[in-house]
Amino acid sequence: MVALVLALAFVVLVLGVLVAGLLRSHADILRALHDLGAGVGDPMGEAPHRHGQQAGETPVALTLGPPLPSERDATSAAALTGVTPGGDAIAVDVLGERLTLLAFLSSGCATCAGFWESFSHPGSLDLPEGVRLVAVTKGPEFEIPAEVGARAHRSLTVVMSTEAWSDYEVPGSPFFVLVDGRTGRRVGEGVANQFSQVAELVRRAQGDVRPFDVGSRSRAFAEGLDGPARERANDDALLAAGIQPGHPSLYPASLADVFAADAPPGGEGAVRRVP
Amino acid sequence: MATLSAHGISAGLPNGFEGRIFVRPEVGGEVSYPVAHFASFPLPATVGDFGSGAVTMMGPSDVFAVLFQYGPESVGTALFARQGMPLSLSQADFSPILLRRGLTGQSGTQWFFTEAGRPFTFYAVLGSHARRSVLVPKVNALLAGISVSPPTPSTAGGTAPWN
Repeated sequence: MVALVLALAFVVLVLGVLVAGLLRSHADILRALHDLGAGVGDPMGEAPHRHGQQAGETPVALTLGPPLPSERDATSAAALTGVTPGGDAIAVDVLGERLTLLAFLSSGCATCAGFWESFSHPGSLDLPEGVRLVAVTKGPEFEIPAEVGARAHRSLTVVMSTEAWSDYEVPGSPFFVLVDGRTGRRVGEGVANQFSQVAELVRRAQGDVRPFDVGSRSRAFAEGLDGPARERANDDALLAAGIQPGHPSLYPASLADVFAADAPPGGEGAVRRVP
Repeated sequence: MATLSAHGISAGLPNGFEGRIFVRPEVGGEVSYPVAHFASFPLPATVGDFGSGAVTMMGPSDVFAVLFQYGPESVGTALFARQGMPLSLSQADFSPILLRRGLTGQSGTQWFFTEAGRPFTFYAVLGSHARRSVLVPKVNALLAGISVSPPTPSTAGGTAPWN
């Protein structure tokens, strides 16, 4: 029995040594990764203890590519700047109270031909009202302007801009991007074979955007107010009405409380009589 | 900020503006000169030199502006005696009776001048004269970003080469 206990104790001791060795090895690997600038956690905390780095050596940061500008991310929407097929300079803004559908096309792709043809009949595009359509090709360094001009209807806004293809990370043509001008964000993007499919997707996207289109926001925009100025205007209106922080009207318990606020003096009962 | 540059005209567009700088194809014996359109709303693909086809689409918060070059024979004439583009306009410079096309609620202003040896007119339209206190600063922000180079063969008429 004693021999068995001793044997088990010896086995546990050996296993303990092995685990400690593995942990030590793992720590060495992590430290090495930190020294290379690709470690897990905060390598700066161990910077003074880096071993193997000679005085005067400069650590090289590992990067995966050019960083995006600080104001950009995967859904941001940039203004389009380029030239028209006629050689004129053009800049198209995508911000504002509207949706903008960007059709990234080329003059050579077979699938694009159907879209150029569809765009030559603007009355039958069946796009929702208020949606602006802009065709975007690569710049003159990659496209023949005369070829693009021959395909584009004169009522279609065409921007030739390789930079726009880069800005919107377009994988190939045809490719469509829908931009919500109020937020300056891309709200949809993808490919399609026929424009009717695109129009249907735009209609759905417009439906998704509308629930956030509260009347008070449009009114604030119409009055040129937004952000802190809008909040100040709201506060001023509330204070002028005698509504200060903590006022009971700010904490309605039911719909009756909300509508009672609009009722004429003594009219609470009248409000309740409305069917 | 988007920057447009063509035909010796450069414009750094304020946020919310778009624009186009072009020379119309010459028809018959006419000679075309550069025209620049700027707008705070979506510009249609085809717009008249002074905004026909665009001003009817303006909302009360919108601004439309044109920089239109005339032929070199205009340099030195009384109409273009003013040297330099106006840099800052006041609310009093805008009037409903200065519109090329009188549309209810809108107002406009027009200036003739010579800039860098080239004769121009600058014409601006406000979507709402009642809101000129808000809209005139937009026009001034636009003006602040426009610059004109001295005349070259590409700006002296005819179809210009690529930018």
